[in-house]
Amino acid sequence: MTGIALLAGTRVLDFGAAPLAYAGRIFVELGAEVVLVEPPGGLALRAAPPLVPTGDGATVSATFCAYAVGKRSVTIDESTPEGRALRDRLVTTADVALVPTDPAEARRRGLDEPSLRALHDGLVVVSATPFGLTGPRRNWKGSDTTAWAASGLTYQLGDPDRPPVVAPLGLADAVTSLNAAMGAMLALRARARSAHHRGQLVDVSAQEAALSVMMEAGPQHAIEGQVPERVPRARMAGIGLYETADGAVDVTAFLPPQWDALAAWIAEELGIDEATLDVFRGPITARVPFNDVINGWINELASRYDKQAFFLEAQRRGLPAGAVNEVGDLLHDHHLRAIGAWHSEDDDDEPRAGGVACRLPVGPLVVDGARAVGGPIPEPGAHDDEVLGPLRG
Amino acid sequence: MAEAMGELPLAGLRVLEIGYGIAAPVCARTLGQFGADAIRVESVRRPDSLRTAGAGWVPLSVPWEIRRDTGTGINGFTCPEKRSVSLELDTPGGRAAFHRLVERSDVLVMNMSVDAVEQLGLRYADLRSLNPGLIYLNLFAFGSEGPYRSFRTWGGNLSALSGLTALVGWPDRLPSGLPLSFPDYPSSMWGVIAVVAALLRRDVTGEGCELEVAQLQVAIECIAPSLAEAVLTGTTPARSGDQTRSGAPDGIFAADDGRHVVVSVLDDDAWARLADVEELEALAADPAFATAAMRLAHRAALGERLSAWTSTRSAWEVTWRLQEAGIAAFPVLDSLEVLRDEHLASRRFFRALPHARFEAELCYGQAVGLSETPARATRAAPAFGEHTREVLAEVAGMSDAEIEALLAAGEAHEMTHRDVKLTRPFYGWIRNLVRLPWPPAAVEPAEVLFAQLDATYGGDG
Repeated sequence: MTGIALLAGTRVLDFGAAPLAYAGRIFVELGAEVVLVEPPGGLALRAAPPLVPTGDGATVSATFCAYAVGKRSVTIDESTPEGRALRDRLVTTADVALVPTDPAEARRRGLDEPSLRALHDGLVVVSATPFGLTGPRRNWKGSDTTAWAASGLTYQLGDPDRPPVVAPLGLADAVTSLNAAMGAMLALRARARSAHHRGQLVDVSAQEAALSVMMEAGPQHAIEGQVPERVPRARMAGIGLYETADGAVDVTAFLPPQWDALAAWIAEELGIDEATLDVFRGPITARVPFNDVINGWINELASRYDKQAFFLEAQRRGLPAGAVNEVGDLLHDHHLRAIGAWHSEDDDDEPRAGGVACRLPVGPLVVDGARAVGGPIPEPGAHDDEVLGPLRG
Repeated sequence: MAEAMGELPLAGLRVLEIGYGIAAPVCARTLGQFGADAIRVESVRRPDSLRTAGAGWVPLSVPWEIRRDTGTGINGFTCPEKRSVSLELDTPGGRAAFHRLVERSDVLVMNMSVDAVEQLGLRYADLRSLNPGLIYLNLFAFGSEGPYRSFRTWGGNLSALSGLTALVGWPDRLPSGLPLSFPDYPSSMWGVIAVVAALLRRDVTGEGCELEVAQLQVAIECIAPSLAEAVLTGTTPARSGDQTRSGAPDGIFAADDGRHVVVSVLDDDAWARLADVEELEALAADPAFATAAMRLAHRAALGERLSAWTSTRSAWEVTWRLQEAGIAAFPVLDSLEVLRDEHLASRRFFRALPHARFEAELCYGQAVGLSETPARATRAAPAFGEHTREVLAEVAGMSDAEIEALLAAGEAHEMTHRDVKLTRPFYGWIRNLVRLPWPPAAVEPAEVLFAQLDATYGGDG
């Protein structure tokens, strides 16, 4: 595999901000050179939980490994004048800098936008903060968890009879990174078109990034005068989660033909012919008054299957559905295997973390038939000679 | 800002979108907000499901030609900064007009199934000869290859398959998942990223390309930390209920006003600052919780001690007291509180923009903030076929007679009942809520945001 080379020749400096780790990984997948700039001993992100033991009392961070594949690493001691000067020379060779998430830290280390662009006007400086760099909460602290609380999603997560639950580990960081990567890419195009090759500041707020993935789940109901609450798993008749013999399936009998497919299945398998009656047909609003009855039929149907068998049979019948995979189920998913979605076992560049293999997916993009390739998870300073050598003069 | 860049990064480019639901429409929205002439190609025979629904408050007796413009709120969110042309691509005239648009465009964005792409003659191989510089993007559910390639899914089904759904909920119950079509949004963003990266290459080489994004894999990449843990341990991490496994405390706590509040202390520095919070000094000094590893190991006991404090004050008081000490905390807001959030208002995240059918529509902000070339906010989503004549004349170069013939044959459609103007029944309330300027005017988002930025960052800080 040759990989994707859309951004060959682009250099990105990744200063280890957790909400920008995935942004760095996206640049790797597009063919850019992404360099982790670490203090001696490595970034704090390398010790971010969850930590997995690797033997001999050592651990490796799943959070770090997730998006470190294919990045390079240099170690620089910024506390010495020589180190600081070296880092500043490195900055002048870069196109994009992913800077620390705490604005005070960024300023203290000279990694804020004015300082960096004074060194190199063409630099695109990407900042991801809990609430953005402007507004009354610009100096507030935040986390992945506060981002969802501030977006209105947490309020809707979980069961109606219990308190709200948290979103998946690192998910707000991931969507913050996606917005940051969009911004960086757009800023690179703006730079390419500007007469003086100027960079700019990309300001991403985690609160807004969280909102950017929930257009249909919050404000749209609020403007219709409703506040979305935590709801049962089967949200409407034929839409939601249903329990099979070995887990759950997600079913979406939304459009009229999709309901017809489900009704025919209920009638055939359970002998409930009235499922196909006209009164239930048509738009979803026709079925809402009969939620309980219809959900009862679907639960009975689902209980006769394993989740994967239900998923495949639903798809055979033209009914949109998916098995609720546990993350570990993905490792055995035959679609992902068939398309070569995983880094290959016999790939020389197989990702390894602390000596342990960490095979992750290669990424979702295909360009003219080519997928991204992986590369190792770097040890701190693995590329010191290669990257810093030419700058030492 | 002395030498403003002026032009938006995608100015001068034309983007065609054949979008359904969320993924492709939101992708084209961002391209339009950053300067592209984004044109939705819509169909009466294969309408976007967000069009077919219409707003709940519009009586069914109102003709569909009007109802389709009312949408639910989300259509207004997915489609600002676009024009709409309506063409039936499975008719000879509609397809010919579409081909002329392709010849004069830079990017095509779709989220159609493999089968529909073939039926409608929309494969890259079908279109490349018309325009070798075309950047062609399809945001597939599963990609164009593999055993699932023809499966039909909505976002919830893909969230389930990706492993994401199973990560949300209580360990002693079935997962509860996310109440939204999650994979669509990050996929739309991957689409923007891939298109702009391809444009950067095309600027140099002149070559177009075929881009394909698999939404299933996008969703999987978004939960890579959990997946990495599963890969490294060989086991599936348990659902974590109301506390994360990133650190402790990091989760949801009850306040005394019936609300919940998030508290996150993820490192030892933040923990040390807890000593500055009145009534938490003893907790901060407790040797049982001295290190991050110890706090994670004794998460339940720590949670009880912290709950005893949070549950005797309001969610906002907890937030203020902790933020004053430099500790991450925030109330669990409901969606109404988000709409009226002063901080979002100060960043002008929600806006009211002009709309052909409504006096104005509430529009959703762009989370990408660019200091020199910020997103534009000039118009709300188009009405169905609002720009059919305009686009066919200006872009496709068709004569009035040719356009009339297409419309008469039902191979193209346009907005009807243009004189019928509606006002959303809740608008008086909403404009109050989000403190939007009224009546709405097309506004430059740059000024406010970056005047403040200059004030914050302009000095030596």
